[in-house]
Amino acid sequence: MSSERRIDLAWLMLVLLSVGGAGIGSTDGNAVLVAVGVSVVMAIKLRLVCSYFLELHEAHPRIRRAVMTFCHGMPVLVILTTAFGDTLSRLTGALIG
Amino acid sequence: MWVGIFCEITEFALLFAVFFVARAHHPEAFRAGPDQLSLLAGTGYTLMLLTSGWCVARALHAMRRSDRTACLRWMLAGFVFGLGYPAIKIFELQRNFALGLDGDAGVFIVSYYYLTFTHLVHVFWGLLGMLWVIARTGFGAYTAEEHSGLEAFACYWHVTDMIWLMIFPLFYLLG
Repeated sequence: MSSERRIDLAWLMLVLLSVGGAGIGSTDGNAVLVAVGVSVVMAIKLRLVCSYFLELHEAHPRIRRAVMTFCHGMPVLVILTTAFGDTLSRLTGALIG
Repeated sequence: MWVGIFCEITEFALLFAVFFVARAHHPEAFRAGPDQLSLLAGTGYTLMLLTSGWCVARALHAMRRSDRTACLRWMLAGFVFGLGYPAIKIFELQRNFALGLDGDAGVFIVSYYYLTFTHLVHVFWGLLGMLWVIARTGFGAYTAEEHSGLEAFACYWHVTDMIWLMIFPLFYLLG
């Protein structure tokens, strides 16, 4: 498969995930489960952009690691701050009064 | 190039940290927040930016095989789709203000404006950069061997796209 064809397929996947992901968000379910669903879709989309659009595999390993940490960190933080919002509120309460 | 991109990432990482803390302190406001916004507009931004990013990626590949005409066409298409973002923003802001969703509408809406306006500024820089790269491509400044300017712009635009892919679910989906 040509590199152009792979980019086209990645874009198609991204469009489908964006529309499908919007459907996940509009469901009335357990907040943590919705956060997990939304985060998984977010992680897949970020991975597709990094791999096929940004071509991160060609970047310096340190740059690649830093960007991937940011991309993987966000979905994880979404889940953790949804599941443990009370704890985060207590921990940061002293900072913001 | 990467120094600039990491500045952008750091800026948004800080704003995301503020978002998570605000959400932890005001869970009810953030739970009800997405219902106030237009999911159609949010999805529209996402599709415009993703399609614009796709065009820019195709433009880069066209340049790598020395097809300057195709590169220019893909870049122009990328610019048109990129303009879709501020165009939708105008309609969404009109809708929001008509519904009273201004700077006094609570912590969720204030966080929303902070993050999305900051992102909009980055999109504007990207659109200006895209015009510059289109002009350079038109004047034959890039070749298959040397097109680092085009590559640098493409990286910036894809990272701006990535940031939106993070912002979108935070405000439009996580109820």
